[in-house]
Amino acid sequence: MRLLRSLLAAPLEGHGWGMPHDASLDGWRIDDLINETSVFVILLFAIMVAWMLWAVFRHGRRHTARFDHGASRRSIAVAVGIALAIFFVVDGHLFVNSILVWRNVFGNFAMAEAQPDAVRIEINAHQWAWAARYAGADGKFGTQDDIVTLNDVTVPQGVPVIFQVASIDVLHSFNIPNMRVKMDAVPGMINRVWFTPKETGQFDIGCAQHCGANHYKMRGVLTVLPLEEWKKWAAVASANSAVAYDPEDKDAQWAWSWEQHSRI
Amino acid sequence: MPTMDYEELQPIHPEPTSFWRKYVFSLDHKMIARQFLWAGLLFLLVGGTLAMMIRWQWAFPGRPVPVIGPLFLSDQGGTIGPATYMTVFTMHGLIMIFFAITPILIGAFGNYCIPLMIGARDMAFPTLNMLSFWTFAVSLVLVICSFFGQLGAAGAGWTTYPPLSTNIGTPGSGQTFMVAAIFVTGVSTIMGGINYVTTVIRHRAPGMTYMRMPLTVWGLWLTAVLNVLFVPVLGSAALLLFLDRVFGTQFFIAGAAAVRGGGDPILFQHLFWIFGHPEVYILILPAWGIVSDILSFFSRKPANWYRGSVYAMCAVTILSAVVYGHHMFMTGMNPLLGQGFMLLTLIISIPAEILFLNWLRTIWQGSIRTDPPMLFALGMVFVFGMGGLTGLYLGATATDIYLHDTMFVVGHFHLTMAAASFMGSLAAIYFWFPKMFGRRMNESLSKVHFWWTVVFMTLLFTGQLIAGYAGQNRRLADPYEYNFIRHLLPLNRYTSYSAFILMAGQFVFVWNFIHSMFAGARAEMNPWQVGTLEWTIPSPPPHHNYDVIPTVLRGPHEFADPLVRERLGRDWIGQAEPLLEQTPGTSAPTAAAGRA
Amino acid sequence: MSTAVASVLKYRPRRSAADATAWLGMVVFLASWTMLFAALFAVYAVLRVRAPAWPPPDLPRLPLLLPGANTLAIVASGIALQSALHFSRTGRVARVLPAAVAALVLGAIFLAGQSALWVGLWREGLRPEGGPFPSVFYGLTAFHALHVLVGLFGLAFVVLRASRASYGPTRHLGLRLWCGYWHFVGVIWLLLYVTIFVL
Repeated sequence: MRLLRSLLAAPLEGHGWGMPHDASLDGWRIDDLINETSVFVILLFAIMVAWMLWAVFRHGRRHTARFDHGASRRSIAVAVGIALAIFFVVDGHLFVNSILVWRNVFGNFAMAEAQPDAVRIEINAHQWAWAARYAGADGKFGTQDDIVTLNDVTVPQGVPVIFQVASIDVLHSFNIPNMRVKMDAVPGMINRVWFTPKETGQFDIGCAQHCGANHYKMRGVLTVLPLEEWKKWAAVASANSAVAYDPEDKDAQWAWSWEQHSRI
Repeated sequence: MPTMDYEELQPIHPEPTSFWRKYVFSLDHKMIARQFLWAGLLFLLVGGTLAMMIRWQWAFPGRPVPVIGPLFLSDQGGTIGPATYMTVFTMHGLIMIFFAITPILIGAFGNYCIPLMIGARDMAFPTLNMLSFWTFAVSLVLVICSFFGQLGAAGAGWTTYPPLSTNIGTPGSGQTFMVAAIFVTGVSTIMGGINYVTTVIRHRAPGMTYMRMPLTVWGLWLTAVLNVLFVPVLGSAALLLFLDRVFGTQFFIAGAAAVRGGGDPILFQHLFWIFGHPEVYILILPAWGIVSDILSFFSRKPANWYRGSVYAMCAVTILSAVVYGHHMFMTGMNPLLGQGFMLLTLIISIPAEILFLNWLRTIWQGSIRTDPPMLFALGMVFVFGMGGLTGLYLGATATDIYLHDTMFVVGHFHLTMAAASFMGSLAAIYFWFPKMFGRRMNESLSKVHFWWTVVFMTLLFTGQLIAGYAGQNRRLADPYEYNFIRHLLPLNRYTSYSAFILMAGQFVFVWNFIHSMFAGARAEMNPWQVGTLEWTIPSPPPHHNYDVIPTVLRGPHEFADPLVRERLGRDWIGQAEPLLEQTPGTSAPTAAAGRA
Repeated sequence: MSTAVASVLKYRPRRSAADATAWLGMVVFLASWTMLFAALFAVYAVLRVRAPAWPPPDLPRLPLLLPGANTLAIVASGIALQSALHFSRTGRVARVLPAAVAALVLGAIFLAGQSALWVGLWREGLRPEGGPFPSVFYGLTAFHALHVLVGLFGLAFVVLRASRASYGPTRHLGLRLWCGYWHFVGVIWLLLYVTIFVL
């Protein structure tokens, strides 16, 4: 019974076996591309299965085989034609939309950085937790009023949130499925990713690159607050950080220059 | 090239008599093939058991594992802890790829089929062949040593990415042994590759032009070319990683970057995937070739557009090296580079489609016999169709954002690598068993094995696809730590049941195989009534294969020819069989010149 | 002298089919090993381009003279071995052995020189853990030296056969194959010398 219910709920987002609920502004572009491609894929697969079943049942032992090498001009033209048609329609759709989506949205850091309210967060991934740093009230990273959190990222709703992601030990991958976000954290590199949260709430942050024994527990929480509430939170947190700043604690003073790595 | 005296090039050597020369250090390609087969099947069992452990953990997280728990995990109360889990999925991947599929498809069937199907008496370099098996055996010893490492076996995933795979991430001898094992098995593979490439070029029987070779040989030959060119790149990555681990070098460790520059972990990924993507074609090309032949044989119809299939396999071979970047889309590469790799990855689908269309058209309007080899060949087409189509999403940069490193990837490569290569291997085993052992396998048990395998493989790997679509990430010891995955426990449980049932069904095969080897019905020379050269000699073949090197007159798929039916009263004609111009008994007959 | 050169250039050996097969195998083997070394050189190139300074200012410099001498040794060794092959082909069997011995000795001198190079730099404080620069140096030269060692075993085998006057105009397959391998090893060294020491 439970199986049946799961199967029936299967494609619904967030239920059954569908994609996790999309709480971001632009995630639907990826979802749509996946689902549109699925239409083609399922169609092609169905044709293939039907073809094979028909051949096995109707052209079986009692059927006389045709003496055909399939190498006539016409035969070849049909085969090549079908292959190219599938390529241009299915692959082409995927290719063109992928480029557009990446260029206009997911890779468009210029657009994200240009927004006045954009929030910038530096993520330092390590075994096995996510350290996050905000610039604080002064807008500069590496100063006393930086907010530093562990496994806890709080962002405002409706404005771009830009991450610069790094790692100090092994490869990790910053993954927020509910926002359709994923970017590797590579030691020696600083990668970027951004998104705009559409809904408030709490969402999982996970690691999507095998990073050792506790890879499965490298879980953080993304909290999305309404914009005004977030601004209040940020102000308080920044003030507290400035007070609690400990110049002796060198380990807590990881930070890098944002501008150096936000090459547009 | 001097004109060849084929008999002089391949003199008949006397058969060895001592036990060691005959069964252990044999130079006979047929014996070496069997050695690879046993080794591969044994490690297939080991790899399969490791897979069952993964599925157990996801179906019943934290519960002690039956049988294996008390035997191997007693220090953890019989459960699979996170550190053990890492080694389980790592060793599962490495063993299945390098120590199961490779020896079965390439080591065993490459060795067995190539000389026989091209009309040769043995490989070009029999001693090198023997050494390639024993080098492989050394790598197996290193694999076993890895399991006994004090800090556990290798645990950095089969992809062995640094820095996790260096001493920083995974200290201990277990990982080092596996890196060494990979290097040594690479050497063995290259040795085999040299043999296969040279043998096909130099030892084809007279009349056996490239375009008359069975597609099995094409698949195996192109695989060997890829092996020869790209396994060395893996060798370099393994070597440098070994140096990092054992001698403290810093090729892949990002060290004191400020003054001296750092090693680069992404460099490893480039090296690994320049090998790794051709590797997946290495694992499937033999299956493609075998299935292309078998579909024709059991449809009693010529293979559709033979040349197209050859060109398609060649195109895939050539393109395989330049698409590798799609494994690295999420590493932060330049978007332009990503687009380039995406384009090439999508282009490689064109030759794959041509091959597929050829298969579908071969069976259309045929006279299909549902013997076990044909069932497995059709099964391979089915699972590869599914797997290949799921690759589309992963080859595009945007959709890969969501699907990268999820179970969707796992489902995709299990369908294309595990399911399809495995189906191809089984088709090959069922097809050549009569020739190898001179006996027939039990047909009913074979069919039961087929249906059992194809149904539960489909359920198992589709379950992985669905879990990935729902967002479940890879390599999680306990996926249910995450809120967005917790509701997938029932799905994972059903998938695991499919896996357990699948595994159980393989014992039907094991019983059938062993029993038939000793007590199966005797096989005649050509039980499948097909025209390739190996079916013109006794089952099993004599030590030197061919008493007289045959002269080839036509291609391997000459079925349903009305002229043949008229003259010989059957729907097939052998590759080296003369087709007389005149009806015998009238004027002096002359052999037809042979068609292409 | 010019007639000797001319005879080398004009020479077209009569090869049996079996020899041609063996030679093809050697070519495929060398293609494989070329890919291995190409990958290693690519790693070197990437690490060098990425580094802020190469060689790093605080590490000992690599000498030019000793590896230069080693280069001469291995080149001479290659010439000696090729001469042995040529003598075998043209029937001057008596000269094969001294040429082969010369090749072996010069190869051994190369290895000795390499060892001296490593010991010297090790004493100066250049260690593999010191970053990509020493990693590349030790890693690539050591791996190459391993192949030289294998080649020396092959040359020893060739010398043994030559001492039994086994090589002649139609019987010199082993010599030819080891010659191919030895030239490969020599060319790799030339590339290493130029890219690691000179550039």
